[in-house]
Amino acid sequence: MNDRTSALKPNKSAGKSLLCTLPMLLLTFMFMSGGRPDFSNTAQFLALIITFAGVNVLFFLMHFTGKTDRYRAVLFIVFAISLSFTLISNMLETRSSMSFNQSDVLECRIPFCHLVIPMMIIPAAFTESIIFPGSIIGGFADIASMIILWLTATIVLGRGFCSWGCFYGGWDDGFSRVRKRSIVKKISDSWKWMPFAVLFMVAVTAALTLVPTYCDWICPFKAVTEFEQVTGVESAVKAGVFISLFAGLVVVLPLTTKKRTQCSFLCPLGAINSLSNKITPFTVKIDKKNCTECLKCVKSCPLFALTPANIKEGQVSIFCSKCGKCIDICPNNAIHYGIKGVPAGTRKNFSGNLYLFVSFLFLAVFSSGSIINTLQKLLDFII
Amino acid sequence: MTESFILGLSSGSACLVTCGMVMFPYLMAGSAGVKRVVADVSIFLLVRLAVYLIQATLIWYLGQRIITSPILRTWVSGSLYILFAVMLIWYSIGRKRNKECPAAIISEVENKRMIPVFLGVVNSLGFCPALLLMLTRSSGEDSILQCWMVFLAFFAGSSLWFLPLPLTGKLGKKNIITTVGIFATALAGMIFIIKGITIILGGLIYE
Repeated sequence: MNDRTSALKPNKSAGKSLLCTLPMLLLTFMFMSGGRPDFSNTAQFLALIITFAGVNVLFFLMHFTGKTDRYRAVLFIVFAISLSFTLISNMLETRSSMSFNQSDVLECRIPFCHLVIPMMIIPAAFTESIIFPGSIIGGFADIASMIILWLTATIVLGRGFCSWGCFYGGWDDGFSRVRKRSIVKKISDSWKWMPFAVLFMVAVTAALTLVPTYCDWICPFKAVTEFEQVTGVESAVKAGVFISLFAGLVVVLPLTTKKRTQCSFLCPLGAINSLSNKITPFTVKIDKKNCTECLKCVKSCPLFALTPANIKEGQVSIFCSKCGKCIDICPNNAIHYGIKGVPAGTRKNFSGNLYLFVSFLFLAVFSSGSIINTLQKLLDFII
Repeated sequence: MTESFILGLSSGSACLVTCGMVMFPYLMAGSAGVKRVVADVSIFLLVRLAVYLIQATLIWYLGQRIITSPILRTWVSGSLYILFAVMLIWYSIGRKRNKECPAAIISEVENKRMIPVFLGVVNSLGFCPALLLMLTRSSGEDSILQCWMVFLAFFAGSSLWFLPLPLTGKLGKKNIITTVGIFATALAGMIFIIKGITIILGGLIYE
């Protein structure tokens, strides 16, 4: 497939793109530095400058070239790697190990991540308690701030959270881009319903056992964050499951299929986020007047969100994460970001700019902490 | 208990997918009102429970008498878990369901009033992989009471799917529900494969 069909011609003037980048420059500076950059620590200051410049260059290029996905992916992948680096280094500093033991669990020192949310809902409703051994507020990756961040992002972006906010998605997104062509080409469409089955299973098991079963037994990202200390057969089997799922769904399958298979076939939060696509004001629209049904978008969609039937209907499915890959690849400019209620093909620039500003700002602000932290540690090491 | 309930809950969907379409016309046949339908479903479920408890008692007795060595029990139990879990996955994803429901032979029954009873017996004697997993699980229990509780939990989980049977015709997006149910069953199979491996590796039959 020719990935460069829509060409890399700039579709806007540099001045106009710079003007669009100005509000992003101001806001990211405020969020990253808190308004008062610290000049006393050279490594920290350098890390801040590099992150600030990098993020804004990406946003500028997004505007200037009219390509969304390729620049989003850069930040998204860097975010995933830097977050794992931050988490691991934090754990090594505080516990001298990537694994946690029973005392960490009893003292609620486990960093919280958004993947726990599907398992918390039913127990929280019935027992008024949180079934995760993390700090509610104030600690590293505390529960309250993560839930607020996820909720806000999900209401505004819908499943866009999976491509603009999730700090794990960058792993399989990254591996899905390594090869130019896929080795496995035919995958049954019905597999995309698997996350709903996982959601059903983990929600029920967590409600019955009051244990976050997904984190306890399934989460592939335990392999790159933290995991239970191996003290017996059960914890060894768990570690085997985490590593196998990471190797299979995050590395091997994305490499061979060019799809984000962990996000498509496993993630229970992805299932909830898919449903939230129904309430978000933003969507991806297909302008049927310009569409020639070449199906390049269907082939390129990393989350199985587009089928030939969707193209005929002129509507993306609930699985769309608004990553922008289909928009970039469409040779006829028939796919664009849109606002619900506004007909396809109209107010493309306004909708696109609005969505990109909101989603990119979220990604930039959310990712900046871990990117700065990672860079600072690397600079400290070099200097 | 929780494990059994979850297995029942997840495999119940596949059971409904497999047998529901055969049973549905019989349970809903004619101009039967809601009372009749509720009575038929209740009889069907009660018979199913009774047969389950008889099976549980038998298998527990055999488990206690025949496999007395704890090491042998670990190996047999772990291997059976893996075998039946693989069967459960195959059963849920790989086969043509409509043709394989044991309840299909109810067309042979002449006395229509006996159909719910007959369905209950056939359904619970179907020896689907989920039931085989439960039998394996209960054979290792310490007491007959625990064994019955395991089966009660399995019965409760799987029966939830049969309760809205009269409403199935009105459900929208049946294909999606079916697909998610099938995947959930396969996931339950995966859980039991892992359990089987854990048992074999660690001799953890007595939790």
